[in-house]
Parts: sequence; structure tokens; C-alpha cells
Amino acid sequence: MSDTVNKAQARINILLSLTLLILLLLIWAILSVVTPSFATANNFVNLMRQASLWAIIAIGETFVIITTGIDLAVGAVVGFAGVIVAMLLKAGVSIWASVLITLAVGVAIGAFHGFGVLKLGLPPFIMTLATLTALHGIGLLMTNGSTISGLPDAFTDFSREAFLGIPSLFWMVILVAIPSYVYLHLSRWGRHLFAVGSNAEAARLSGVNVSTTIYTAYILSSLLAAFAGILTASRLSMGLATNGTGWELQAIASTVIGGTSLFGAIGSVPGPLLGAILLTTINNGGTLLNVNSFWQLIITGGLIIVIVYFDQLRRRR
Amino acid sequence: MDRPAPQGGPDPATPILEMRDLDKRFTGTHALKSINLAFVAGEIHAIVGENGAGKSTLIKLLTGVYPKTSGEIFWKGQRVDLDGPHDALALGINAVHQEVVLCPHLTVAANLFLGNENTRYGLLQSRAMVRSAREVLDGLGFSVPADVVLSTLTIGQQQLVATARASLRGTRFLIFDEPTSYLTRRETAQLFALIRRLKSEGVTIVYISHRLEEVFELADRVSVLRDGQLISTHRVDEIDEQGLIRAMSNRSIEQIYYKEAIPTGPLLLEVQGFSGDGFEDISLSVHRGEIVGLYGLVGAGRSEFVESLFGRFPHSAGTLRWEGHEITVRNERDAIKRGLALLPESRRTQGLCLNLSLSLNVNLAIYERLSRFITIKRAAETAAADRQIKDLHIVAPSRSTLVASLSGGNQQKVVVGKWLNHGADLFLFDEPTVGVDVGTKLEIYRLLAKLLRDGAGIIMVSSYLPEVYELSDVLHVFRHKQLVASYQHKEASMEAILTQAIGV
Repeated sequence: MSDTVNKAQARINILLSLTLLILLLLIWAILSVVTPSFATANNFVNLMRQASLWAIIAIGETFVIITTGIDLAVGAVVGFAGVIVAMLLKAGVSIWASVLITLAVGVAIGAFHGFGVLKLGLPPFIMTLATLTALHGIGLLMTNGSTISGLPDAFTDFSREAFLGIPSLFWMVILVAIPSYVYLHLSRWGRHLFAVGSNAEAARLSGVNVSTTIYTAYILSSLLAAFAGILTASRLSMGLATNGTGWELQAIASTVIGGTSLFGAIGSVPGPLLGAILLTTINNGGTLLNVNSFWQLIITGGLIIVIVYFDQLRRRR
Repeated sequence: MDRPAPQGGPDPATPILEMRDLDKRFTGTHALKSINLAFVAGEIHAIVGENGAGKSTLIKLLTGVYPKTSGEIFWKGQRVDLDGPHDALALGINAVHQEVVLCPHLTVAANLFLGNENTRYGLLQSRAMVRSAREVLDGLGFSVPADVVLSTLTIGQQQLVATARASLRGTRFLIFDEPTSYLTRRETAQLFALIRRLKSEGVTIVYISHRLEEVFELADRVSVLRDGQLISTHRVDEIDEQGLIRAMSNRSIEQIYYKEAIPTGPLLLEVQGFSGDGFEDISLSVHRGEIVGLYGLVGAGRSEFVESLFGRFPHSAGTLRWEGHEITVRNERDAIKRGLALLPESRRTQGLCLNLSLSLNVNLAIYERLSRFITIKRAAETAAADRQIKDLHIVAPSRSTLVASLSGGNQQKVVVGKWLNHGADLFLFDEPTVGVDVGTKLEIYRLLAKLLRDGAGIIMVSSYLPEVYELSDVLHVFRHKQLVASYQHKEASMEAILTQAIGV
């Protein structure tokens, strides 16, 4: 008897996990009908480009949140990485080398977060809040607060290109999402990540290397944020330390809308992807409908509460 | 069972609190079985019993922390329902717990008057409160400052503050749960003076302790609990320590144990002079095919010892020899690689990832083995989970069920299954059958026998004497951080072993 009940419940759960996708498609359908410009190729490509950047940092954020941590520095890393890559390019370093060095800087920042959380014992919130502030300062100091423009065409054209009709930025999401999916859902390290988030002590006593696992999460988060920073610099054709300001909140909102639990041990890769696309759609649709951008913020806030509330209801069953 | 109270003592005609057929069941365990006991107003009534005899459960029923399963409680002859701590406090029932339940960041005075602050126009009268706190503490004869932050005091002083707080607010019935565990001799004397003073003011005291000498020093009457049953109540001048120990340990053989005659194999682990936080100078050895039991009272240092063996905590001195070779175990991963497995005392906080699936939990230690290159072989993962579900008869809707929704017995099987999946030469079982139903207990005992047959060695920590007594090939007794006695299988009586553990 309990078996049938459980199957029924499993079916309901699958249905509810689809609701986010259904909600997204519904909004798309409505926007296509009520605005003439939403369903145009041009607008869609634009929407995908913006969603791409948020999706990439939201996936990294998800890893950290699964360990019961939080990474507030992702937005600052976006701006900082943009400054680094722009300065390197201006200094005549090749595009590939500039990108690799910038990604390495991302890894270093993530490792520093892991160090602060594990070795210094700082709460993740404080540690990453501190680097958020400091990275902003360093970026502004390095650039004297100004914009670095005049980047090579090969670099800036990349984000405007499309391949097989799909914007290259969205290909980058696929490039990130597939290995992330393998890491989180198909590899032992993903299982260890969930176990550490659920009960670090039990994981440790089972032979899981808890510190390596947590280091990995913070490093991946900063690495992906640095990658998003490079793409942002390419898209905007400039490096600016204040790029990405506030994106940490978009990343956290995307992942939470996508079903990640701030209490840890619950999360997925498709979740933050859908969450980021949904958030972008709301912004995009609001603009097309001529909704006051202040109202868009209010609507976004309200939607986060509604979506996460229903998600929690589902879990409590 | 009640006997007349001593001459000139409390009036036996008016029990202040009476329990009739009080019963408490948890899933899988019958913690208290039809308790009938009346406390006489103004007496000091000690309750003794082994770990797990039901003392803590009894306190929690009387203070309204747990709801009773059946039976009745009478307060001054009136039937009462204690639906929460608030109800008990309103009647004047209060308890001082073994661990201090106060706010460590607030001052002593603030703690004393928490929820009952002295205010004027809504503003705290801090200075006045400190002054009256000092009066209270001095009046009780406690040398504890009133204006310092609680956490800067020793545990013993904090305990005294907790006691002072409990005695403040019209308490008529005060329960002490092992109050002297962390107290120095001087603090103990201060506490006893307070208890006697409360008694002289007519407060009824229930005093729970392992330390029998305290019982005889302080109490008027003493009741013995064993396995959730009230065994007997005595006036302290009618019984001696040996008599109490006999009452605590005598058992009719109602539990079933399972032990096979397995020949002892070669030496596996030799521990020499092992010391660390919570245990001192422990030496013992384990052979393949052998269960080494560690018995003692809670806090004697057994869990700390096995967790240090497993690399969970560092040790300050001593050597480990594994099959004759000296080894060092720096952390848990070292221990696991060496062939040790720890089944920790607390399933929920140390053993399981509760909000994750059964499959992930039983496979957590072996994902490396289940992987090919970077991905996990799904078929191998499900097969490994299903094998443990089948072999251990884990009752669960499916392998993807969250562990939190399983019963205690099945949760314990998941922890066991994790280590069976991994395999080990030496299994460290810390309280393997706590909170587990009788059927599952027997399955666990059979499983121990199977591990021994397969050539493993076992160290088993248990606070339930009959269990270690029946199952151990060698039984070591811990008391106050030290290994104080060792026995071959059933070499001594349970009474003798309990005597060693209590240290009469």
C-alpha cells in the first residue's frame, strides 16, 4: 500500500519539477501573443545572451549552496575578471593566454574562499562578502575607476557571433553545463558534494575528503564567475570593475528558483539554468511590455517568494 | 512498595506527586513500563539505574518535555496533564539538567531572571538585577559572581547558577539529573548544602545519580529503575551499596543474544598506552574472530577512545600496532584505508545523510570503487544498494527513499550496510543497538557473528551491560577515562562488572 502511495507521490513530484519549465513556456507563449517583438529571432538571441551569463554563475553558485555555503563574490569576480582580461589584452597578450590567465585568477580567488572558510573558520557569508568588497576595490584601483576599451575585434566579436543559429554565448552555457552535469550528477565527487552538504560529519567518517570537496565547490564557483566575466567583457567590448555588480543576487535567485535548498544537499544543474532563463524572461518581457523597470524589480521579488514557497510545499510532502 | 518515611520526616499521607501506571513508548522501544511511584512532600528521593534504564525519560515526562503514552500523574492528589514544560513550571516542577541549559552569552544575573526581568517603564533595571542576583547567590552560599558573562564560568559554576535559577521561582518539586558530573568537590559541597536547605524549606527533591555514595549521603529514599521498570524503593538506612547494585543488575533472561563459538584468529590490533582527550593510558588488543567489549557509564571515555582509534580525534600518547607493525592513523581516511570501520554512536548526527537517498548512504564509502574514469557505473551503484537492502532486510519503499523517513532500526541497518559494502578488518561498533527494536537487534547480533566468521575483529562499545556481557569474548571496563578491569567471556558476574564501572 505504501508502495503505491509512494509511486503516486513520485509522479506528483515529477509533475511539480516540470512546473518551472511549464511556467517558463507559458510566459513565453503569453509574451509571444501580447507583444509583437518577443517571438522575433533578434529578441530571442538577445534574451539568450543575457540569460547565458547569469546561468553560468548560477551553476557555480549551486555547487557552493549544496555544501550549505554561499558565494556572494561571484558578481565582483565577474567585474574583476573583466578588468584582468582587458588589461592583458591591451598589454598585447594573446587572446588564449589572456583567457587562461584570467581563469587561473578565478581559481585562485575560489581557493582563497575555501581557505577562509575551512582554515580560518569564517562563515561563508562573511568570507565572500569580504572578497566582494575587496575585489571591487582592487579592480577600481587597477583601472583608476575607468573603463578599459579598445579590445581586439577577435575578442569582442566572439559574443556577437552565432553558430548553427544559436548565439555563441549560449554555446558557452552548454560548454559549462555538460561537464557540470557530469560532475554533479554522474560522478563520485558530486555524490560527495551532496553528502558533505547533508552531513559533513557522516561524510568524513565515511572517508569522504570533506575539505577537498568544499575547496572544489568554491573554486568551481569562482572559476565559472571568471569565465562569465570574460564573456561579459567580450559582450560589452570593455573591462570595467563594476560590471556584474549585484549579479550574485541574480545567481542566488536563479538557483533557488531552480530548486536549490539554502539548507544544502538539494540542487541540480538544470535548475539554475531554468531559473536564470526565467529571471531574464521576466526582465525582457517587462521591458517589451513597457512595464516600469521599478515594477519589474517588485515583480521579480514577488515571484521568488511564490516559486520558492511552492517548491518548499512540494518538499514537505 | 512504598515504605513508611523516617520518623519526624515528611508526612507519607500526602504524596506531592504520584505516578500511576505511567507508560512511555518510542518507536521500537518501550522506555518506561507501568511506573507506580509516589514522592512524599519534602523528601529527597534518589533514583538509580544503569544507562538506558529510563531515568532521563522519567524526568522528561515529569517536566512535560515528552507526552506520556498512558497512565496518570497526580499532583497533590489532583490528576494533571503536563502538556509542555510550561505546565510543569506552573505547578512548581523544575529540573536541573546534566548539561547546562542557559544562555552562555548573557550575564549570570540576566540568566537568573530570564523571562522574569526586573523592569521599570519597560526598561531593564540591570543594576538592581545584579544586586538581587548577588543576594540570591550569597544567600545560597554559592561563590559565583553575579555580573559576569555565564560562559566565562566553569561548567561547575554554571551548574550552580542553573540550580539557583531553578530554586528561585516558587519551585516545590526539583529534579536533579546527575548534577555533580562536572562539579569539583567544593562545588559539590555547596550544591549539597543548597539541596538540604531546599528540603528544610519543604521542597521535594528527586536526585538522579550514578554515584551511590551521594545517594547514601543525601537521600531519604532510593528507587531502582532497570530496563524501564521500577524494581524497588528502599529507605536508605535499609539497604547498602551492594544491595542497590544487585537490584540494578539482576535480570531475568528476557533478552535474546546470539553468539557463535568462533575460534580466535591471529592478532589484529594492539593498542599500547593510548591517551587523548577523554581517555588515559588505554592498552588492549583485538584478534580476528573476536569481540572486544567496552563497558562503562556514559562519559567514561569509551567513545572518545574508539573515535581516536579511527583518527577522528588526535591522541597525545601511545602506539598502535596493526598485525605486528606499528602504524599511525592521522585521519579517518587513513583508518579506512588501513581496514577500520566506525559505526558511530549517533546515527543521526554522525552516521547518516538524512535528507539523501538510501542508495547514496549505503554507497557513500565506495564511490571510488563504483566509478569508471569520472562517472559512476549506475548499474553497479543500484546493485550495491539493492544487495544491502536484500541482505540486511532493510524495509524501505525503494533505494531512492530518503533515509530520514526510515525507522531507527532500518537507519542503523543502512549504516551497517555502508560498511559491509566497503568491507573492513576491524569494525568499531559504538552502541550498535540503541533505539533499535528487538528483531533488528537479533539481526545485528547475527551479523556480528558473520563478520567474525569472515575473519574480522570487532570492538563493541555498549552501555547495556547484558549485551556486552553476553557477546564479548573479552570485556574491558572503563571508569573515569581509564581501563580499570578486564574479563574473559562471562568470567565474572554482571554485579561484579557493574561494581567496577561505578567504582564503589
